[in-house]
Amino acid sequence: MENKLSKSKEVILTRVRESQVLARLPEIMPESTDGLKSHHQPESDLLNSLQKEFDLLGVETYVEKNQKAVCKRLRNLLQDKSVLSWNLDNLPYDAGTVLQSRNVYFERDDKIIQASADIGLTGCDAAIAETGSLVLLSGEGKPRTASLLPFEHIALIRQSDIYFTMSDFFDKKGKEVSQASCIDIITGPSRTADIELSLTLGVHGPGKVIVVIGP
Amino acid sequence: MSHFSDRVDKALADDNLSEALKKATSQLVSRRSTAFSSLEDAENLRDIARNTKMKILHNLEDNLLKFEKSLQKNGSHVHWAKDAEEANNVVIEIAQKQAVKKIVKSKSMLSEEIHLNTALIKAGMQVVETDLGEYIVQLAGDKPSHIIAPIIHMTREDVGNLMHDRLSVPFSDEPEVLTRIARRKLRQEFLDADMGITGANFGVVETGSICLVTNEGNARMVTTLPKIHVVLIGIEKLVATFEDLNRFLKLLARSATGQKLSVYTSIIQGPGKGTETGPEEVHVVLVDNGRSGMLGGDLAESLACIRCGACLNVCPIYKNIGGHAYGDTYAGPIGSIITPGLRGLAQWHELPAASTLCGACKEVCPIRIDIPKMLLKLRQVTPPKVKASISLRMAIKCFAVIAGIPKVYKGFTAFGSRLLRFLGSKSWLTNNIPLLDRWTKVRDFKTPAKKSFQRMWQEKIAKDGK
Repeated sequence: MENKLSKSKEVILTRVRESQVLARLPEIMPESTDGLKSHHQPESDLLNSLQKEFDLLGVETYVEKNQKAVCKRLRNLLQDKSVLSWNLDNLPYDAGTVLQSRNVYFERDDKIIQASADIGLTGCDAAIAETGSLVLLSGEGKPRTASLLPFEHIALIRQSDIYFTMSDFFDKKGKEVSQASCIDIITGPSRTADIELSLTLGVHGPGKVIVVIGP
Repeated sequence: MSHFSDRVDKALADDNLSEALKKATSQLVSRRSTAFSSLEDAENLRDIARNTKMKILHNLEDNLLKFEKSLQKNGSHVHWAKDAEEANNVVIEIAQKQAVKKIVKSKSMLSEEIHLNTALIKAGMQVVETDLGEYIVQLAGDKPSHIIAPIIHMTREDVGNLMHDRLSVPFSDEPEVLTRIARRKLRQEFLDADMGITGANFGVVETGSICLVTNEGNARMVTTLPKIHVVLIGIEKLVATFEDLNRFLKLLARSATGQKLSVYTSIIQGPGKGTETGPEEVHVVLVDNGRSGMLGGDLAESLACIRCGACLNVCPIYKNIGGHAYGDTYAGPIGSIITPGLRGLAQWHELPAASTLCGACKEVCPIRIDIPKMLLKLRQVTPPKVKASISLRMAIKCFAVIAGIPKVYKGFTAFGSRLLRFLGSKSWLTNNIPLLDRWTKVRDFKTPAKKSFQRMWQEKIAKDGK
């Protein structure tokens, strides 16, 4: 198999080499990247812009003043439902305390058990104001399944993790981004319009996304 | 396979289809234009995206080698496949090595192109499509008919009947109910599968990242739950850096569905690390299957296509005949280049002819691909048709003689228009005009006006002269 493979590679690359010389491609046009860099927004606008996008996407948003208020909000949202969560020390605001004495599943649990949870609870590495996106970098203790399997996803966002554009985030956290084995950018609830273009939520991923933004 | 004109006839005779196409394409067109209005500096962004792709293609060999290195650095296995058969065999070998029985797939045009499902099923494996539209297509034993809306040709009743039939569930024509049924059925498949297969929207050369975009989340399921993830990627699908990727993502979602960003953008950079959830193995198969040949000539520019489907929605031909009539994986204006490009012109020479060359496709293409120019190029090399019939050739010769003598021409047209008016029962003639019957079989032919333009003109001069 190895031999056959390296032969295919050689064949393809030879063909490509011969072709790229003959390729009748259009000229490279003059371009300007000036206008494309982010239009830096004042800090106070970040939260507003983000909230506006969340509204458009149908993401339920709560902004809380302090840690205590975040936890109280979370307790109300969770009620007595079962939870698939990031490891407690990966959650901001000591939110793990809210989970005590509940049905909580983690990364180590079997995926069928994980899939049975009502709510997925995660933090978030960045929130992008321009598009209303949550950026989740995968890693140990931050199971990708938590934002994927349950029908409801609750994400806790620190205000300091809000960026205006994706580029702003990539510029600042390039190293973390390059080391993650999976970067998930989530923009609203799972949706489809395959049947007569009529919008339906919660096809495979969560049909409901809730964010709690703390200080 | 059936003849192109037969497929077109069939499509045109299908009232459901034309209704569905009209509704869907016009909605997608208006969503796209609204979405672009929210993008600052969109035109400049399109220029940059175009340049980025051209630079990649100019230097594809180097880029492929760099991409391979980056992938390996991330811990992914890299395979090369020069044609469909090799690509299918690579996937089968990976699957057999791990005794894979059930495979879940996220939508991939490339896998359609190489008929991967057929090959896997033949090798004894079970394959399940998980994009809602593709799942329905698979249940129906049908083929997708639009790049981003695979069942644009089906009504909700069609889907309801199909699910009732194949999945033994009560009939419903509510998209909400039908979607819930699919969620339940497919959730089990995701959990049971040993292997996930996806295509790739983009491959990032610098970082060895595979970018996948969906709205449903099925690509995330496919790349998270099974222990093996296989990526099929065409050798042309590369961008250089993360910054490039970011720009293409902005264009892709707006062009395809009118969103600022699709719901799920997953950037995969190797297998899960340590105790992390995610596949234990990631295999990337770089597939040529005719692309390197297209690179060396007039069709090279079409390799910049990002498969957004925008050119389908604006095309007056696609809007009328839909995707199936094109006869292969890629429909619409861009398909009329890619299909002959990949599979050879001999069998597909009718596709480039099926265009009005109105240029709407080029206008909406986020990469500004000059589709009409390439369609014309393909027409130039289209094999000469069988000689026209003797009667037609004679008629044209007669016409040449008559048209050369103004007086005779005038006499003939006056006679001709009188005759046609006489033949036409009302103001329309159909079916019976000798020599024109192939045209009039499917179209009405307006009878000439009572007064010709020339006559009106002369009368006006005479009147004004007084």
